[in-house]
Amino acid sequence: MTPTRIIIDTDPGVDDALAVLLALASPEIQLEALTTTQGNVTVEKATRNILSVLELAHASYIPVAQGSMFPLVQPLRASDSVHGASGIGNSKLPEPRSKPVPQHAVDYLIERVLAEPNQITIFPIGPLTNIAMAIRKAPGFAKAVKEFVIMGGAIHEGGNATPLAEFNIFVDPHAAHIVFHSGIPITLIPLDATHKCLLEQEHVDRLLKIKSPVSQFISEAVEVYLKSSLERGYAGSALHDPLTLATIIAPELLSLKEYYLDVDISGGVSMGKTFADFYHMTQKPANMKVALDVRAEDFIELFLQRMERLSQSIPD
Amino acid sequence: MSKRILIDTDPGIDDALAILLALASPEVTMEGITTIHGNCSVDQATINALSILELAEAKEVPVAMGFPLPLVQPSLLAAETHGDTGLGYAKLPEPRGRPEVRHGSDFLIEKIMSNPGEITLVAIGPLTNVAFAIRKEPRIVEAVREVIVMGGAIRYPGNASPLAEYNVFVDPHAAHMVYHSGIPITLVPLDVTYQCILTPDDVKRLQKNPSRISRFIDDSTRFYMEFHDEYQQIHGCAINDPLALALTFAPELCDYQELYVDVDISGGISMGKTFADFHGLAKKRPNMKVALSVRARDFMELFLERMELLARSVGVFAKHS
Repeated sequence: MTPTRIIIDTDPGVDDALAVLLALASPEIQLEALTTTQGNVTVEKATRNILSVLELAHASYIPVAQGSMFPLVQPLRASDSVHGASGIGNSKLPEPRSKPVPQHAVDYLIERVLAEPNQITIFPIGPLTNIAMAIRKAPGFAKAVKEFVIMGGAIHEGGNATPLAEFNIFVDPHAAHIVFHSGIPITLIPLDATHKCLLEQEHVDRLLKIKSPVSQFISEAVEVYLKSSLERGYAGSALHDPLTLATIIAPELLSLKEYYLDVDISGGVSMGKTFADFYHMTQKPANMKVALDVRAEDFIELFLQRMERLSQSIPD
Repeated sequence: MSKRILIDTDPGIDDALAILLALASPEVTMEGITTIHGNCSVDQATINALSILELAEAKEVPVAMGFPLPLVQPSLLAAETHGDTGLGYAKLPEPRGRPEVRHGSDFLIEKIMSNPGEITLVAIGPLTNVAFAIRKEPRIVEAVREVIVMGGAIRYPGNASPLAEYNVFVDPHAAHMVYHSGIPITLVPLDVTYQCILTPDDVKRLQKNPSRISRFIDDSTRFYMEFHDEYQQIHGCAINDPLALALTFAPELCDYQELYVDVDISGGISMGKTFADFHGLAKKRPNMKVALSVRARDFMELFLERMELLARSVGVFAKHS
C-alpha cells in the first residue's frame, strides 16, 4: 500500500511534537513537509522547535516553512503554562542546525497543493491561520487539497481555553470559520475524543526502558504537561495532536459521524465555541466528519509501540 | 519631490476618478495599483483598472490582482451603485495590458519593503489586501510611509447599512486588523467625502474640453448620480475616493483629529460600524488621524482643474500604440 502523503501545520507544542514523531514512526504515512504557526508558542519558537524535533529523529530532510506570526483578527496568545516556556516542556533540545525554507508557509502550502492536486492531506494541529490564508489567497487551493484532518473544537466536551472553547479554535476563531465553510472535506478531531487518550506516567516509564534520545525527549517534554494535566484533574496528558493520525494508521479506532459544524465568532462569552447541528435545525448539509468517540486504550497502545520502535531505531 | 504612491482599489466609479486624479497630479508618482473585490468582482476591478490606465495613456503603471472575497464575511457586490461593470454607463474597450503575475498582497509587500519609508498607500476599497499583507509581512507596518484609507462613517450615517460605510461593511474583519496593526493611518470617512459632491453642472463644465476623459466622467457618473438621486436624495454624486487621493499631496484640504477608532465585528446590527472614542472612554491611545471636516469647494475646484488638464492632454481619440 502506498503511504498517505501529508503536510502537518503545527505550533509545537508538546503534543504537536509527539504527533510529528508518530508520523515519522508510521510506515502508513509519508510526511512531506511541515508548516508552522503561532499558538502554543510564537511562530519563531514553533519553527525552532520543529527543526529540533526533526534533527532528534534524524529527519532534517523534511522541509519546514514558517507561517503566520499573529492570528487573523484576535490578539496573539501563547500558553507557556501548559507547554513550558520553550513550548516543549522541560526538554532541552539543542539549537537546530537546519533552517526553514525561505517561502512563507501560506505560499508553500499553496505551491505544494496546487502542484499535485488531490494528493496531499493536510493535518492542521494548531490554530488555522495559515490554512485560512491559503484558502483566501488561492481560490483553487480548497479544491486541490485532498482532505483536512483538524485537531480542534469541543462539541459536547467543555473547552480548554474558555469554558466553551477549545484552544486551537479560540486562538483564531475567524480562521476556523473560513476553513469550516471552505467546502474542503474535513475530519475534525475535537476534545471529545482527544481527552480520552491520556498518556500517563507509567507509559512514560515504559518508554524510558529503551535508552534513546527519543524516549528521553518524550519524558522531558511531557513532564510539565503531565503536571498541569494532573492539576486539572486528568489522569494523564491528552494526546490531542497524535490522535489526528489515527485517521490514517487506525481509522477503525475512531467513531466518525457527519455533521454541520459552525464556530461562534460574534465576540461574546461563546467566542470560539464549536457546535454541531445534531437535529438539522439550520437545514444545512454536513460540512465535516467529527470524531466524538475513540477506543482510547487501543490508541495509547499503538502510540507506545510506535514510539518504542522509533526509540529502538535511534539508540543513545 | 513627488510622492510615491500605491492605490489599492475596487474600481468602481469614484475609484476610477481617484486613479485619474493621481495621473493628473504631478505631486504624486503612481507606482502601482492593486485590485480588490468590492464595488465589483476582483476580475472586473482588474479589467477596469487596466482600461482606465489605458484610457489615460498610463499603461506603464503595473496592476496586481488581489483577493476575490472578503476574509470572513460572505461576498457582497454593489451592482446597484456602480452598474454591471462597476463603471456605470461608461463602456471602455477591453484592455490590452495584463495584470502582474504576483498576487496583489505580495505586490504591496514587495513595493513597501523594498522602499522603506517611501511609499504612501491609498486604500480606497475593502481592506482585505492590506490586512492580509500586514499578517503575512508584519514589518510593512514600520516600512510604509503612510496609509490613507477611504472608509468608515464616524458621526455620519452609513451608506451600506444605517450605521456602516460600504468599504468597512464589506470586510469589517480586515478593517479591524488594519486599524489595530499600528500602521500609520489617515482615515477619510463619509463625514468628509459626502461633503464633496460632483454636480451635473461640474460634469457640464468638463465637457467644454471634449476628450475621452471628460466623456468617461460623464458616462460613469451619470449612473452614479441616478443612484444618489434615488437612494440618498443627493443632487450629484459624492466622490469619496478622489478626496482620499488628494490628501496625499494636499493634506490642508481637511482638518484632522487624532483618535482611537474601532470597528464593530460582533455580527449584530452594528456590524461594520466605525466609531471614534472622542472622550477617552476606552483609555486607549489614538490609532489614527481622522479627517472630520473638509474645504469641499476648494477640493472640488482642484479636482475639476486637474480633470480639465488631463482631458486637454489626452484628447478625443485613443492613440494607437
